[in-house]
Amino acid sequence: MKKSLALGVLFLFAGASLLPGAFRKEDIKIHQLENGLKILLLEDHVIPNVALYTYFRVGSRNERPGLTGVSHFIEHMMFNGTAKVGPGEFDRKMEFAGGSNNASTGDDRTGYTDWFPASALEMMIEMEADRIQGATYDPKVFESERQVIASERRMAVDNSNDGILSENVRATAIMAHPYHWDVIGWMSDIQGWRRDEVMSYYKTYYAPNNAVLVMVGDFKEAEALALLKKYFGPVPASPPPPVVLTVEPPQMGTKRVTIRKEAQVPSFQVVWHGPSVRSPEFFPMSILGDALLRGQSSRLYRRLVRQEQLAVRVGGGQSENIDPFLFQIDVQPRPGADLARIEAVIEEELAKIKAEGITDAEIQKSLNMTRSGFYMGLQTISGKAGQLAEAEIMYGNFEKLFTLMDNYSAVKNPKIIEAAKKFFTDDNKTVGTLIPLGGVK
Amino acid sequence: MKTRARIVPILIFFLLAASLAQAAFKLPAPEKLTLKNGLVVYFLKNAEVPLISFRLNLKGAGSAQEPGELEGIANLTADQIMKGPAAMGAEAVSEALDFMGARIGLSASEEYAGLSVDCLAEHFPKVLDIASACLTSPAFKDDEFEKARKIRLDGLKSIKDNPGAAVRTYFTKAYFGTHPLGHLASGSEASLAKMTAADVRAYYQKYYGSKGAIGALVGNIEKDKALELLNAAFGGWKGAANVPIGTMPPIPAPKGMKLILIDKPDATQAYWVMGAPGYALGDKLTAPATVMNTLFGGRFTSWMSTELRIKRGLTYNTSSNFQTYRRGGLFTASSYTRNEKIGEMLEIVFDLLKKVGTEGFSAEEIESSRNYIQGQFPPTLETNASKAGTYVRLAFYNLGFDYYDKYLAAIQAVTQASAKDSAAKLIPTTDFVLVVVGKAAEIKAQLQKFGTWTEKKISDPGF
Repeated sequence: MKKSLALGVLFLFAGASLLPGAFRKEDIKIHQLENGLKILLLEDHVIPNVALYTYFRVGSRNERPGLTGVSHFIEHMMFNGTAKVGPGEFDRKMEFAGGSNNASTGDDRTGYTDWFPASALEMMIEMEADRIQGATYDPKVFESERQVIASERRMAVDNSNDGILSENVRATAIMAHPYHWDVIGWMSDIQGWRRDEVMSYYKTYYAPNNAVLVMVGDFKEAEALALLKKYFGPVPASPPPPVVLTVEPPQMGTKRVTIRKEAQVPSFQVVWHGPSVRSPEFFPMSILGDALLRGQSSRLYRRLVRQEQLAVRVGGGQSENIDPFLFQIDVQPRPGADLARIEAVIEEELAKIKAEGITDAEIQKSLNMTRSGFYMGLQTISGKAGQLAEAEIMYGNFEKLFTLMDNYSAVKNPKIIEAAKKFFTDDNKTVGTLIPLGGVK
Repeated sequence: MKTRARIVPILIFFLLAASLAQAAFKLPAPEKLTLKNGLVVYFLKNAEVPLISFRLNLKGAGSAQEPGELEGIANLTADQIMKGPAAMGAEAVSEALDFMGARIGLSASEEYAGLSVDCLAEHFPKVLDIASACLTSPAFKDDEFEKARKIRLDGLKSIKDNPGAAVRTYFTKAYFGTHPLGHLASGSEASLAKMTAADVRAYYQKYYGSKGAIGALVGNIEKDKALELLNAAFGGWKGAANVPIGTMPPIPAPKGMKLILIDKPDATQAYWVMGAPGYALGDKLTAPATVMNTLFGGRFTSWMSTELRIKRGLTYNTSSNFQTYRRGGLFTASSYTRNEKIGEMLEIVFDLLKKVGTEGFSAEEIESSRNYIQGQFPPTLETNASKAGTYVRLAFYNLGFDYYDKYLAAIQAVTQASAKDSAAKLIPTTDFVLVVVGKAAEIKAQLQKFGTWTEKKISDPGF
């Protein structure tokens, strides 16, 4: 029956062009208002809805001790009232008009994502423009929302073994750069943020010249642009925010961190300082990360889960951040698994890559996975808006999205060996383990 | 604001609602393809992106009729099928799929098992071949069974490290007991100890067949080519001859409050889930209950979210929802809060449960909920995968491809009275199951006022 399914017989097609007709650079209309707001518009009339994504170039990367987590807190407070739109009214008006939204904060950016019927376009644009500088930070709401964040932290970090290990590993590996702390912030900072400091941070980073607005969906470009000019045009520009000066110094020896807590199963994570997403070294690191960790055919899945049965799952890869960030390997060990053996297996696999690189088939596999993942993300107006907004923030210009595949395709084995030798050294490594305390069996 | 022009005069709501829904968005009607063996596959060409999604629902292969002592076998069988035919093996399957950046999934839900195939159009023939080889002639190797069994046993342990996941599992067991909906997809420690590879093979022989299965294919491919490939892949497959339909016994209806406390001594938040009977798929209550639940706990400004998160900062998240099956359904609500606030939170929730069925909603709330459901509907059918999934679900449950046109019209027809009535019927005030996972030493005293709690330790075996 199915004869030719083994590896090697599979067609090795050349990297076909990445982007389909429905998502061409020339269809994306670029505008910039006088106040510096960059606008990307893409008409798409498949469904009668619009995705409006407003991304600000601010995240935990811009924070300082005492104000950790504040970027994320501001994201929450953006729904809690302006002079024109009272606390909670943004959501009530939006939902009444058939819309929904979410928002997210990362190390490098804060994104506001609205999905609504085309009929709500003007109202949504008006409310988004209003809250860029209009948030009032009502003191009572401020205190209540502080506790929402505390609850979010308890859920995502304090009551999550992987969350707490990850926070500890990051803080151990990264000494000086603000990537030292997690986006959620330290609990003592969450409980201590002062309203005046939060508002000053908001004023610094929430300005049209520090944002990109992407709209994809069922609108006419000229009409949409007129509305955007009407409501966003009057919002004044701010002085450019301070640049992040701190550069993480080179690590000078393996670091280890151990968490002991009540748990049923251990957790394991190992990280190395890697490149910035804007560095040419990002592409070989990303491809070798796929060979090691992506899918059930990856090298570490095969070794740790399938062959030696030391783990239930593996994951990770090169993080995509503006400043150099970590390459990480997360392992969910089986209960009672030998964690030293897990680390040894990982080192064996890295040694092979440092010596021989990876196979051409593995490189092609990574390219194919990236290509198919990319298309899957282009099936929706929200997927398209998200790709454009992220690319604009992360690469500094969304147009780089359209040559991204060329950068991946150009990677050959010598670059992979070079990157592996440079980053996967003992001195550059941090290992984290979470060990279950006795008691619970 | 400018956009509130849509005021629907009650007398003509049927006409207007129908036209609104049509003007807004319609699920395109698919074409019906019939394979050589009679297997029906619904087809829609979509050339927008070079992708194809294929779905196949296999009646009976779900967990609804699993014997209690073999709970989890439906999912384990699905997992083992994807370990490949004898000629290929699990490593070759994953290698081939990863190489193409393709995904094939097979999993058992309650009333059917579902195959999903998503890939670039250029790879579809190869990927469909692999799906067919796995599904129609699985090898069922003993060593693969052993690996899967161990991973599931480990998974049962790690659930207890995550209170949010643990509370759901404890709730499922507390609510359903031995009912098939109480079966854990992963199996239990007891069932995994008993289950053998031979049981899995027998389960496959009995429940996997093309008769009564329903497929859908959406993507960038011509109809003739699709039919040719589908016939080559599945047109010769028969499998089990008389697969039962996969319906389950009636969903349990608790009498009185069943209160359960799971002590997790390291928890800094207390997590809870409560549940009561809901309604069946296609029930007339669907539209009013959806409008009602959207307002009660189904969106960001819902009553639960407003009272627990927005006004009081007690939690990051709270929600309620209805799950529906062929012959019944389930209502659940859930949230979490810091240990010292659990008593206050539950008191508020109990008040809301009472209020919704007695006071109902304002006209503005009803209008907002209807608008929200209508406005959020089109994106739910945007992708090839969501369209294909919808086609098989509608066909499988005999709901008709105009189901969502009728649904949206019915949503538009929901009134204050019908929404309140659905709340009075469905939102529990005295008869429900409530499970709390938290640090007993800090929360127990706050819980006493609600009734008598059955207490367990999280370290006790099982759930």
